[in-house]
Amino acid sequence: MGRRMAFMGFGIFFGFTLSRVGASGYDLIYTMFTGADLKLAWVLITAIVTAYLGLGWLHFRGDRGYADRPITINKKVLTGLTPVGGVLFGIGWAMSGACPGTVLVQVGEGKILGLFTMAGIIAGTYIYAWLAEKKLLK
Amino acid sequence: MSETLYDFFFVKPWPWWLGGICIGLLVPLMYYFLNTALGVSTGYGNIVKLILPRSRLRWLNSADYIDVFNWRFFFLAGIIMGGFLSARGAGWTWTTPGMGLFTARLDWTFPSLAVWFLLGGLCMGLGARLANGCTSGHSIHGIANLHLSSIIATAGFLLGGIMATRLITAWILGGF
Repeated sequence: MGRRMAFMGFGIFFGFTLSRVGASGYDLIYTMFTGADLKLAWVLITAIVTAYLGLGWLHFRGDRGYADRPITINKKVLTGLTPVGGVLFGIGWAMSGACPGTVLVQVGEGKILGLFTMAGIIAGTYIYAWLAEKKLLK
Repeated sequence: MSETLYDFFFVKPWPWWLGGICIGLLVPLMYYFLNTALGVSTGYGNIVKLILPRSRLRWLNSADYIDVFNWRFFFLAGIIMGGFLSARGAGWTWTTPGMGLFTARLDWTFPSLAVWFLLGGLCMGLGARLANGCTSGHSIHGIANLHLSSIIATAGFLLGGIMATRLITAWILGGF
């Protein structure tokens, strides 16, 4: 149970940060894609650099976590569908002004339309499970 | 706490560097304490399973989703709570029907807006699964690990996003 509460704590921190920096607003995502205001791109770049340095530090310490438990990096596999899914995801990102994380923030903030984006992601995830079942994906 | 300090953290939008550092720190911290990769979109499998507990689709019965109330569920619930707390601290209204300049510039009826955002979500949900990750799992966690798949996926996110934004601007928002 403590582990679950830890995940919830990290979730609260993540959601709070995304909301405070403006990542859950439609406008900053729109202006990032038009190039008019690149604030969110800078947030992403800073996050990547911070994460890279933090992971480097963990690696330097021998990839041992809290209480000396080993850390295993989750390797993301590359398939032919990665770029296809990426472009489809990007279209949805621009249409809804949210990503799967920030839409949860929108729902918490009380943005009613965010509920429909969230419902869409749930439906899209189900469609994937169905397509995978019918062996329509490689 | 002085009023200005409260304003800085809880009312005004944070500067990009503060948000970026906080989000970036989550990746090593979650590995350090929980040996888990940051990622959100896989948690939507938990929600599907929660809605359809008897589904026999193999993907929904894979090891990741045998327990609906595993870490993904609590992480997603926390994100919603984080947004709620931020809105309360900033003194926003409890609910809002608006969605930034999209609803400000268009006089669409509510059902049309609902369908639009539902379709956007649909593209994201399916796209994230096909690409095996979303903005957090690929663009932040994956690129920080220098995974080729994450770099390709993120290039796709940006390509799709920029193309779609151009079309939305030209056809719907009326070019501005």
